[in-house]
Amino acid sequence: MSAPRPLRALIVDDEAPARSLLREYLGAHPDVEVVGECANGFDAVKAAGELRADLVFLDVQMPKLDGFEVLELLDPQPAVVFCTAYDEFALRAFEVNAVDYLLKPFGRERLAEALARVHERLAAGAPVPAPSAAALAASARPPGRHLERLLVRDGANVHVVPLERLDYLEAQDDYVAIHAEGRSWLKHEPLAVIAAGLDPDRFVRIHRSYVVAVDRIARLELYAKDSRVAILADGRQLPVSRAGYARLRELM
Amino acid sequence: MHPLFSRGAPLALYVLAWLVAGAIAAEILRLVVPQPATLALAYAVPLGLVYGFIVLSAWWVCRANPLANGRLGRAASSQLAAALQAAASWAAIGLAWGAALLRLHPIEGGRALLLREGLLLLLSGAPIYLLSAVVHYLVLAFAASREVERRLLESEVGAREAELRALRAQLNPHFLFNSLNSINALVGSDPEAARRMCERLGDFLRRTLALGARDDVALAEELELVERYLAIEQVRFGDRLRVERDVAADAAACRVPPLLLQPLVENAVKHGVAGRLDGGTVSLSAHRRGGSLVLAVENPVDPDAPGRPGAGLGLENVRRRLDAFGARAARLEAERGPEHFRVTLTLPAFESEAAGAAS
Repeated sequence: MSAPRPLRALIVDDEAPARSLLREYLGAHPDVEVVGECANGFDAVKAAGELRADLVFLDVQMPKLDGFEVLELLDPQPAVVFCTAYDEFALRAFEVNAVDYLLKPFGRERLAEALARVHERLAAGAPVPAPSAAALAASARPPGRHLERLLVRDGANVHVVPLERLDYLEAQDDYVAIHAEGRSWLKHEPLAVIAAGLDPDRFVRIHRSYVVAVDRIARLELYAKDSRVAILADGRQLPVSRAGYARLRELM
Repeated sequence: MHPLFSRGAPLALYVLAWLVAGAIAAEILRLVVPQPATLALAYAVPLGLVYGFIVLSAWWVCRANPLANGRLGRAASSQLAAALQAAASWAAIGLAWGAALLRLHPIEGGRALLLREGLLLLLSGAPIYLLSAVVHYLVLAFAASREVERRLLESEVGAREAELRALRAQLNPHFLFNSLNSINALVGSDPEAARRMCERLGDFLRRTLALGARDDVALAEELELVERYLAIEQVRFGDRLRVERDVAADAAACRVPPLLLQPLVENAVKHGVAGRLDGGTVSLSAHRRGGSLVLAVENPVDPDAPGRPGAGLGLENVRRRLDAFGARAARLEAERGPEHFRVTLTLPAFESEAAGAAS
């Protein structure tokens, strides 16, 4: 087996000592080159793309974006090794195809094991299998709870849309248009996957292509036989299908 | 329901005692006025039994008139009235029963005898009732003291539990894991700093255990612990963690439940400072206001941060410790603004006394 070029690794942790520990450990591995360090999720999303990282060491609890949210926004997917003091995220980590899960504090041997797994995964030829959109969406929220915000990547920037500000979602081919406070963003994800993570008491799929925040609906109007429109507080009109109307009535 | 009726054996014993008393009364009756034994028994035994049940009514009268200070007069008059009523009813029943018996079995001078017996019932009935009231008061007092004992035991167990829970919450394993990770990092880059960190961590743990075992501590001691904690977190967070302290000298001497402030500061670091890109300032203040000690911990929060499911638990623990401290007037207020989180504790201010200094 040949080692053509060292793996480009990015270290993401909000604690400086934790980053310096990884850098020190990795110094003993000539097959890995540390190309950058990030102290928060926003920087990590940006740096991973710009630096073309093959491998990301990712803390879970960080400011702004947690490790799972960072992973959701990484495209293409590098190999990810989570490093955290919390063992309760391990299951979610493997669901999103993390290569390994290091529990702090860890030693050199444990890191070497993780690197061996990374090599194994990469040597298998296939690129790191991207986790399914549904698994990613599910990983962005703790088990048993609903999504609290939507993340949209716009080049190197990340927009966070808290769901309190969301007016409605609209399916547009492979994308979802997120409408909130008069602005909109496009997110590459099927509407059904996002809808599955929303609190069903607050958001209703009123149409094949629309999910609306119930408290934004000002009134419903009959517009033809069996078809209605929902008029939002800001005057915007959205179509309501028969099934959508039934779901709304159940809730209201 | 009278407690005597709830179990069979004591009730049977009680009935038996009154039957015997009735039989003895019948013998005495025959000595006073010669008459057939059957007649005397037929008169005295049922009447004894009836009164045995009438005097049980003292139970309700006793419960309605507890022997509390300032209410003794009322209790005595109620009991006296009840005694007269019981005796009068007894005498009336005695007259009716005697008259019925005499009709079946007339004896000479029966009418005069009946009246004398009635008078006897009236005179003896009241003291017997009062005796019953005394016995009932004794039974109630015994039950009350057992109840107090049970409550005391329960609250003691509750306080121990709260203490254990607080200790467990205190020694937050993630804080330990992260601190160990920092030490791990420092061993390579700065062994002296790693040693200092080990020392701080050991000191913090020792103090936590020592304070947690006590009923109350001086606020100054609790603040000492907070400083140890912050020194450790400073290594992890560097200049992202800033602290402002505003502690009045007269507040520092106040007694507070141990491990009250430290969890709040830990929350402020974990959910406030750690969640912000540029960290933030944790503000600690302690002042005396009138008879109260007012403690506040404030931290900035990230406006976009989602709700924090773990934070409520920490606050709940502190609230419980405040309750266990036994201060009715103590309260905890949490206030979340768009960019800050503030917890204010208000508790009665009192300074060290013999009981506190002994531990």
